[in-house]
Amino acid sequence: MAYDKPLPKITREDRTFWEAARERRLLLPRCLDCGHVWFPPYLSCPRCASARIEWMEASGRGVIWGRIEMHQAYLKSFADVMPYNVVQVQLDEGPMIFSNVEGAAWDDLAVGAPVEVVFEDVTDEIALPKFRLA
Amino acid sequence: MVTRGGQTAIVGVGTTDFHDLYRNPDPGRTAEQLGVEALRAALDDAGLRAEQIDGLIASSVAYPNLAFRAGLRDVRFLAPYPMSGRMCAVALAHASLAVQSGMADYVALVYATNMRSVRVHFGGNEGGGDLYDPVFGLTSPGAFYALAYEHYLADYALGGKSDGLGEVSLAIREHASMNPEAVMQSPLDLQSYLDSRFVARPLRLFDYCLVTDGAVCYIVTTLERARDLRKPPVRIGAFSERAVLREHFVPEDLWAEACSGMGQEIFERSGLGLGDVDSLQVYDNFSVSVLWALEGFGFCERGEALDWVQGGRIRRGGELPVNTSGGMMSEAYMQGWNHHAEAIRQIRGECGERQVADCGAVLYACLAPVSGATLLVRDV
Repeated sequence: MAYDKPLPKITREDRTFWEAARERRLLLPRCLDCGHVWFPPYLSCPRCASARIEWMEASGRGVIWGRIEMHQAYLKSFADVMPYNVVQVQLDEGPMIFSNVEGAAWDDLAVGAPVEVVFEDVTDEIALPKFRLA
Repeated sequence: MVTRGGQTAIVGVGTTDFHDLYRNPDPGRTAEQLGVEALRAALDDAGLRAEQIDGLIASSVAYPNLAFRAGLRDVRFLAPYPMSGRMCAVALAHASLAVQSGMADYVALVYATNMRSVRVHFGGNEGGGDLYDPVFGLTSPGAFYALAYEHYLADYALGGKSDGLGEVSLAIREHASMNPEAVMQSPLDLQSYLDSRFVARPLRLFDYCLVTDGAVCYIVTTLERARDLRKPPVRIGAFSERAVLREHFVPEDLWAEACSGMGQEIFERSGLGLGDVDSLQVYDNFSVSVLWALEGFGFCERGEALDWVQGGRIRRGGELPVNTSGGMMSEAYMQGWNHHAEAIRQIRGECGERQVADCGAVLYACLAPVSGATLLVRDV
């Protein structure tokens, strides 16, 4: 069955991120002027507004900042996987990213637990950065 | 001593019967109609006539339609706001500034909605999506609060105490049981709270606010004019605002910095202190907001609110009664406007069974991407 959950709408700002994800690389934008690293991708630094930026390859490691288990199917396309976890991961490089931890039950997840990125191909174009317990 | 911000006052308040509206949903009942009903009640309460209203703030309801129906012919100050709870305290601040500057003499602030009857569905698309949140199945403001609550529990090692959150919902429901116009008046016990289904675990159904129809109106003027009207004025002691605009709906510090900054300004500007607050009205979109407001404004230390709220402290008769009308979790989802209506009535001593003894000052707090606080005080 075709993947029917929401997909990112790729824009000029995040095209590089999603192209790299397909190659199993987690890229983050970094400011060449002040060194700030951020997410989601913008074409200018959200700390100093500089447009001189580069993409850096992140370690893919981080820790769980917060966790939930969704029991309400606000999105019908998620009804078949209910309940499912959503985590906010603080990456080692600093930025926060939302994702799901694969193969983990509620009790396996703890705030502060180390996780690492795994990419899940969901369409020909999109690989989603998911996580697993490290 | 009440300083600059204290020179304006609320002179009239009107609300619809939320309980009755909830029992009788009707998609043909418009927000404008409900808004006019609340406005009429507020005019009557103040002893004013519609033609004296020369300022209008309309939230969640279309201002032209409201003005046509309410007979507002000479509006010199107009500000429309979206259906957005975060703008409630901001709206009152703007009304106060408008009458203080002379842009208008009497500003009517109206919030009106028929969201329940027309079956507005929440949770599917808010939260922006800027962080690819729907891609991972993360939607609804409640889910963002739940995520942050999990962080909070871990940060202060409160995991074993998390059931204590139920006291917030129970206390607020008890207050609603003393409010004949509240939507949910039947008592709630801890077991029923714990047995209620998860929506976004760890938050349960009873940690969430309601979806209801209704309207609220209050009228603001200068203190000088207010003293000549029907009811004793309720002074706008001070107000403060913090836009906390981040990609993440809930900031990492759970609005600690915003709240402490607003608290400082509120008490500096009003000349009052935390100890003068007789009741706290919190924008209870979710129960956890009450914890973070108590900590943020300094009623208790960081990480202590779950303990602090126990033992009747936030109930009527306690040290700091919170959301004395039932708030948005049990009275009606009027997005902060019902909290202000309640604050006005508490200060006037009009609240019957749920009246807070000798209520001289009420603090309202909303923790949101636009956070706002209002201190209403008795005119002495």
